[in-house]
Amino acid sequence: MKRILNATWRDMVLTNFAAIVAGIVLSGALLLFLGIDPIFVFSTSIRAILTDGYTAADILLKATPLIMTALAFAFTYKANLFNIGAQGQFYMGAIAAIWLSLELQNRIPTALLLLIVLIVALAAGALIGGLIGFLKERFDSNEFLVSMMSSYVVLALMNYLLRTFLKETKGEYPQTDPIARSAWLPNLIKGTRLHYGFIISVLFAVLIWVLLYKTTLGFRIRAVGQNSRASALSGISPTKIYVIAFLISGALAGVAGFTEMNGVQHMLIQDFNPEMGAAGLGIAILANANPIGIIFASILYGALNVIGTQMGRIPGANVPSSIVSLMQGFVMLFVIMAYYARTKIASRREKNKRKREAALS
Amino acid sequence: MASLETPLFSLKNISKYFTRVVANNNISFDIRRGEVLALLGENGAGKSTIMKILYGLYQMDEGEILKDGNPIQIDSPKDAIKNGIAMIQQHFSLVSAHTVTENIILGSKRGRIDLRTASREVGEMADKYHFDLDPNALIRDLDVGVQQKVEILKTMFQEAQLLIMDEPTAVLTPQESENLMIFVRQFAAAGHSVIFITHKLKEVMSVADRIIVMRDGEVHGDLLCQETNESELSRLMIGRDLIAPHKPEAVKQMDDKNGLVVRHLSSKEKETVSLSDINFTIKPGEILGVAGVSGNGQEELCEVLIGARAHTTGQVILNYEDLTDLSLRERIAKGIGYVPVNRYRDAFVMSMSLAENMFLKSTYDPVWQRHGFINFSQLNRQTDASILEYNIKAPGADAVTGSLSGGNQQKMLLAREVRLAKSLLILNQPTRGLDLGAINNVHTTILKAREENKCILLISTELSEIFMLSDRIAVMYKGRIVGIYEPKELNTERIGLLMAGFDDHQDEEVAL
Repeated sequence: MKRILNATWRDMVLTNFAAIVAGIVLSGALLLFLGIDPIFVFSTSIRAILTDGYTAADILLKATPLIMTALAFAFTYKANLFNIGAQGQFYMGAIAAIWLSLELQNRIPTALLLLIVLIVALAAGALIGGLIGFLKERFDSNEFLVSMMSSYVVLALMNYLLRTFLKETKGEYPQTDPIARSAWLPNLIKGTRLHYGFIISVLFAVLIWVLLYKTTLGFRIRAVGQNSRASALSGISPTKIYVIAFLISGALAGVAGFTEMNGVQHMLIQDFNPEMGAAGLGIAILANANPIGIIFASILYGALNVIGTQMGRIPGANVPSSIVSLMQGFVMLFVIMAYYARTKIASRREKNKRKREAALS
Repeated sequence: MASLETPLFSLKNISKYFTRVVANNNISFDIRRGEVLALLGENGAGKSTIMKILYGLYQMDEGEILKDGNPIQIDSPKDAIKNGIAMIQQHFSLVSAHTVTENIILGSKRGRIDLRTASREVGEMADKYHFDLDPNALIRDLDVGVQQKVEILKTMFQEAQLLIMDEPTAVLTPQESENLMIFVRQFAAAGHSVIFITHKLKEVMSVADRIIVMRDGEVHGDLLCQETNESELSRLMIGRDLIAPHKPEAVKQMDDKNGLVVRHLSSKEKETVSLSDINFTIKPGEILGVAGVSGNGQEELCEVLIGARAHTTGQVILNYEDLTDLSLRERIAKGIGYVPVNRYRDAFVMSMSLAENMFLKSTYDPVWQRHGFINFSQLNRQTDASILEYNIKAPGADAVTGSLSGGNQQKMLLAREVRLAKSLLILNQPTRGLDLGAINNVHTTILKAREENKCILLISTELSEIFMLSDRIAVMYKGRIVGIYEPKELNTERIGLLMAGFDDHQDEEVAL
């Protein structure tokens, strides 16, 4: 048993590594077509990450909100539901965080403020999520469509607020005033932008893993997700589970709004981070909806992002920004393919074992 | 004489490995001309696998196939057909929107098709084998038995020398089966060969010349039909003697309980059968068998009793306690166990482990949890104990439920439900689709639960099972209970009439 487990781990590391290399090589080949030396571009940008702590820390900074939106998608996915509206729940969390920070800043101690803002941002996301779950429970509405459309509703609400109640004092742009330094999430490493939000995200990922795999509630959610009828005949109410799953999912996306507001942006700007929900969805699938896997997949995504930015900045190289998205796409694609390669390898190993056993007997 | 000539086909030392099992290990046997060969074995013995190899659907890992003594290569069904091999799968491969003729010539005609000539050919061929078949009928309008004839004609059209049939009688009525046997004999008499895959001993004895018995992927017997008998075959097939469980006659009664009382229970269903005025009682330690053709309200009755389905009128009382208004979850807590007919859909989460499925019905019971956390060590201990007690073939409590064989899944389900069924155990066709060894096991478990003074409601379409286990027998027809009888009051013929809806009260009076 232990040997099999070791082999599984080895496969996991090797295939994923091969996938990342393959993605980088393939996008490097595309750079060749553009007449750009890929080895120079990659080595320069990777050297920048290795030598510059600020850039390296940016990888984790980028991963921070993605962990949360990916968890949001993965959580409902475990109940066989699709929460496509993480973007809206994220925005809702951001609105709540910025509004409350502006109200409370310089009035109460930082720690208390951050705790209250975290809880309220979480609740704001949960409100939107819970609404989707409620509509599903009460009217059997299609959660896929409702959650997707809910994002547009929240976006409209955000735009409205940015032009009215939350508009900056100068009254020029549709954005809020910046929050005071006392309302910022403290830095994790000096001299970088990395803040405590990363720790919060990782803690949430571990918490969600524990919830899903160690508690009765998590068990019920997974059971309903995989066979709702058998669960119903076992005394579990699937519709109640739908509401709970969406509440928690929305809450997770809401927390991402908090970490982005109080940790990075420090103000709410119209249309910021519009890809947060979609990227989270991709990461969740990449990690096979495993909460711990999501941490690593988000860091990979963040790394690709930072490498891309670095590549674009190399003077004279003129790397087009679309090549960065291509590289991300290739790596994601190969990592997903590696998943199938692993099942195939494992299956062949089992088969050979049977062959040996049969030969012995 | 037969042994002197070269066999039509020879399988030599064939092995096939799957990820989880060795499906075939070193299989060798001959297929002779003009012979009906039965391939006998339990579910998972490797019968279908070896035939799929011969038909080119699977590739063997080791071994070879000879035709008339010469090695041949079969990489696809096309190669097999070229070599005169035809196979009729359990699930037919017919295009339901096409006619009989179109289906029969599918794949064997090229270019312009002269449908009129083809249809005449098909008609003549059908007449030759006394098949009553309209060549221009649409497949979707035909009964399963007739569709099978179309499949057979299709193989005739391909001029097959060897016809492989995978469990051909599973979908047929007794009369249709008999007709099929006549055809098989006739076809073999004309010098062709037939391989008949089955797990039914009676069929084998009635139609086969020679019998290959398979078990655990290996050949465990190659016998001539005249030189063997059913009990020898069953021993070879199962690997041990099967002892029918003994049913003790009198069971002690407990005074403080009166078991299950169902009064005037009715339900209104839109899509299925409504229950109307169901009345019965089951005493502790008693098995009430419910006979009936499937789809006459049995599943609805079970689901109303467990609280999964609404009822319109009536009462359900268990040990003096009125359960009528309790929810499904509350009824589980009152000690009701339920083995549904479809465990894939209704009982298990197949992708979860055995321990998790053991836990599935107890998520609101404090027994395996503390402050909302699952107590895995205790849960695993109980699951491992059940695996031992019920003799379940599984690597351990963390084995994925879906990876177990059907029989072992059913044992696991019984283990869970008998444990939960402190007062009442409801079983809906608990042996459906299981092989002999597993059926025997299930019967033993049910009788043990009876000795433990549980009330047992046993629904089955197998009359032999009903007669063997029941203390009293109820017959269900169209959502009603037609009558409740002592087993000695009934015989197969009378119960058959009751199941078909013939009320026999008047006949009874006349006869008495």
